[in-house]
Formats: sequence, structure tokens, C-alpha cells
Amino acid sequence: MFSKVLIANRGEIALRINRACQGLGVRTVAIYSQADKDSLHVRQADEAYCVGPGPVPRSYLDIANIVSTALAARCEAVHPGYGFLAENARFAEICADHGLVFIGPKPAVIAAMGDKATAKRVMKEAGVATTPGSGILDSPREARDAAKRIGYPVMLKATAGGGGKGMRVVERAEYLERAYASATAEAEASFKDGRVYMEKLILHPRHIEVQVLGDGSGTIVHLGERDCSLQKPSHQKLIEEAPAPNLSTKQRNALHEMAVRACRHVGYTNAGTLEFLVSGDHVYFMEMNTRIQVEHPVTEMVYGIDLVREQIRIAAGERLGYAQGDLRARGSAIECRINAEDPRSGFAPEAGTISRVVFPGGPGIRVDTHIYDGALVPPYYDSLLAKIVAFGETRDEAIARMERALRETVVEGVHTTLEACLELLATREFREGKYDVGSLPSLLATAARG
Amino acid sequence: MIPEEPAGIAERVARLAEFLIANDLESVRIEREHETFEVGRAAAEAAVAMPETEAPPQSVQSRVEQIAADRVGIFHLGRPAPYEGERLEGERELGYVEQLGIRNPVRSRGAGRIVAILQRDGDMVDYGRPLFELDRG
Repeated sequence: MFSKVLIANRGEIALRINRACQGLGVRTVAIYSQADKDSLHVRQADEAYCVGPGPVPRSYLDIANIVSTALAARCEAVHPGYGFLAENARFAEICADHGLVFIGPKPAVIAAMGDKATAKRVMKEAGVATTPGSGILDSPREARDAAKRIGYPVMLKATAGGGGKGMRVVERAEYLERAYASATAEAEASFKDGRVYMEKLILHPRHIEVQVLGDGSGTIVHLGERDCSLQKPSHQKLIEEAPAPNLSTKQRNALHEMAVRACRHVGYTNAGTLEFLVSGDHVYFMEMNTRIQVEHPVTEMVYGIDLVREQIRIAAGERLGYAQGDLRARGSAIECRINAEDPRSGFAPEAGTISRVVFPGGPGIRVDTHIYDGALVPPYYDSLLAKIVAFGETRDEAIARMERALRETVVEGVHTTLEACLELLATREFREGKYDVGSLPSLLATAARG
Repeated sequence: MIPEEPAGIAERVARLAEFLIANDLESVRIEREHETFEVGRAAAEAAVAMPETEAPPQSVQSRVEQIAADRVGIFHLGRPAPYEGERLEGERELGYVEQLGIRNPVRSRGAGRIVAILQRDGDMVDYGRPLFELDRG
């Protein structure tokens, strides 16, 4: 096992990784920006070093400062968390070049899966169903030809994309040229990579993803699926649950089997997630995330496995020590993301100071957060403040516990998504598990009408 | 986000400068009924010497300025090694931060007297870590 790990992240995930390291007896090194100097992850790590000013490119994305910190502090490994450099193959390579273990899959796999067009091609080779689509589109004319072949409605997507950036729905041919221009411009601005491709727009799909773990000896297991369909209009998830409700055993097994087959095909190691669109009886591969996900706690709750601990163990060369048949899912878990956002202003993110915070407790409740009374919410970063997770032996019990937990929660100083989560949980559609990726706005509007 | 109003003008300016640097803003302007306050980047640099944001602002009389690391790495003193009390006639390389095999020079940014050398040769330094104090008077 490693003796010291650098955590190349901030916020709740930095604390989450810190806890996993401490559980394994591994010393930790935090990095932080000047805007985060009073953050909890700085205080709770064994050592902490400033890597730059507040803006992300000059601190949490400054690869030279981060790798230099790891080397000077004599770390053996780097955990990237999610976001920032987590899916940056070049960062993983640079770590390896300097003798640091990158806690994640091999750089070549990150690169292949990070390029969505390449990922689709690889998945096709593995026999995994993918949405009808195009390769990279170099011009509006290529986009027009592709749309004609696929059939409207279509969706333009940034090949380096994430978080909904560089995505455009195009319903008719006359809107295509403009959508192509704005998608490529947004992708260029967000990822320094303006390439886009096209996919058939699947109407009313559910977003269901499968968690996988692979070790260096070739053992690959899945840890079931999560339903992440309740997404904001920006395609960012708000409520996730495991297992996915109303999924037939046949569909569930097909998803799990496809995920494991895909991982075997690419020689996947460490934790990863395959995202699928499910529409009726059809299942389509969407993308693979080669990192830990924000919503990983719901899987941990139903499988009783610490995924971040497993990431570190695998990176240190340990075997999983269990096979698929040893894993059993139990009960149901739901996660609500409490973000510093105003749901009444299109979920616009907010910066400010947390003037008062009270978190819930009791049986089956877990809170992963980095905020405290007086904590600053800087304007530079993701708006996630806390993840509240509820476990129940049944889905109904998990919902009841979550509702109680949200009512116990107080976050003052900024607008949050807390009330919106409560409203969504109360809808008939959520209760019955009948929602899809487009449901959230209409469910909130219905709730507002009372 | 803006700090609460402190009592004295100097303290108010210093706190606004700190806020401005911590958030990497160009300027902060506060307008009230009877007064307007604006602290800009140039003023902040003169008062607190970017990127030494950890250091408390120095009084104008002493003109003591901190030189801080702007890269993370291993700090080395220059050759010949500077010493406390040494008077610098002009710009000079006082040391460097070694990062991934690259030397990032630490310059005096003009003349002055070295008041303090705050890190030892071979120390690990992070971003904004004060390295030298120079009296510009």
C-alpha cells in the first residue's frame, strides 16, 4: 500500500478521498487555491499546499504545480477525484513519467474513452449497442449529411464534452447550421477542443449507468446500476438512485453484462462507469466515465463496498479479492445534490458565505459535504455543497428517510436546490419511478402549481 | 463575499486588497451614499506585492515588501548567496524554485535592502510562500 497520496481535488470529494486514505493508513497531501485556504479538505489532510490563485486554470488545473507538489511532498500516488484533471490522459501520463501512480485506469484507456467518438467505435467493436450517430463532423455540410442519414431529431455533442457543454438538440434541418456553430464554439471555449459529433436524439430516455471495478489481474465486476435521469436542463444530475426502479430483470442483466463485456474488451482497471440511455426495450451506450462519479455513494450504500478505497487498493496493485458471485445488492439508496444554485433562476450558480448550516442524521442517512458555518462558496468552482444520501430496505423507506433528512437540513446564505429536491421527491412520477431525462422541469412546474 | 466594514481607512483598504487578490479580481468598487471606495490591482501590487497574498500588508513608512514563490517546488538560494542586511543596487536573481527540473528564477524586482530570508536552501515552497523581505526605502 502507498504511504502517502496527493489528492488533486477540492470540496466534498477531496474529503471523501481523505477519509478512504486514512482508513487504509495512508497519509494525505491536500492541494488548494488561495480562494480555498480555509476549506475543510485543507484542514483535514496531513499536509496541505497552495497551488495557485482562485481561478481553476491557475490552480486545480496547473499540472506542473500539482505534480511538483506531489514530488516535493514525497507522495507515491495521485488521486484525481472527479472533474478537473480526473479524465485528462496527459495528466495521467505526466504522473507516470515522474514515477507517480495515477489512481485510475491507464492513460490510453482514459484517452480512448474520453474521446466520445472513439469510445463509441470501441464499444461497437465490443458488441455493445450504441446510438445511431456520426463520426467527428468537420463542417456544417458534414453535419447536414449526417443528420439526413440518421434522421431528425438529432443531438450535436462535443467529443471532449461533459456537464452538458457543447451539446445542442436540433429538431429540424433549418436549425442545424446555427446549432453547429454554437456547439463547436462552446466546446472550443470549454475544452479547448471544438470537435463535435452527432447522435440520434432518443426521445424520453432514462439515463442509467453501471458501476464497474477492475483490478490488475483481470477480475472485472459490476456493482449494479444507478438511475440518474432527474437532470437539470443543463444535463447535470440532481437526484440519483440505486437500483433503477421499474427495470425488467432482462434489461437489468443486459446492462450489467454489456458493461462488464465492454470493460474486458478495453482491459479496464480501477473504477469506472458506463452510461446508457434506456428507451422502452432499447438500450444504447452513451459514454464511459473513467473516474469515480459524484453519485457513487448510492452504489456504496446498496453494495456495502467503499469504492474509493477499492480505487486506491487497485492502484496499489492489490487484487479485488472477490468475484461477481460474491456481490449482493441490498435495499435502495437515493442521493440528493444540494447545490448553491437558484432553481427559480434556471439553477444559476451562486457564490457567497454559508451563514448557517445544519445537516441531518439518523438511521440510513449519509452526508458528504465540505461546508460549515461561515464557509465561503467561491465563484470559481462547481456549485455542489453537499450530497445527502438515504438508504432503506425498500425504495419507499429510502424516500421517507430522504424526505425527513431534507426537512432536517438547513443551509442559509445562498440559494440551494434543497426545496427543489423535496418537491421532486413528492411527485407521483418520482414515487412511481416513472421519470426520464426530460422530466425535471415539468415536475418542478407541477409542484410549484401545488 | 465582501468583508464587513472595518473601522479604519487603512484597514479597510487592506482588507479590500486581500479580497481582491484572493478572488483574482482586477478591482473592487464600493459605493455608498457619501463615499466611494475603489481598490485596483495596481494599488494592491504596490501595497501587498502580488502574489504574496498570505502576507499582511506593510505600512507605507517601512516600505518592506515580500517576494513570494509563484511556482511550487524546491527553493534554492542564488549564487553568490544573498544575505540578510545586503543592499541590492538593482534587479538581481535572489534564488530560484526548481520545478520538474526547471529553474524558475526569483528576482528582487528592483533595488532594496534584504531584511529577511524566510526559507532555507532546499525547502519545499508552495504558491504564494514568502521567500524574502526587502526594504525598498
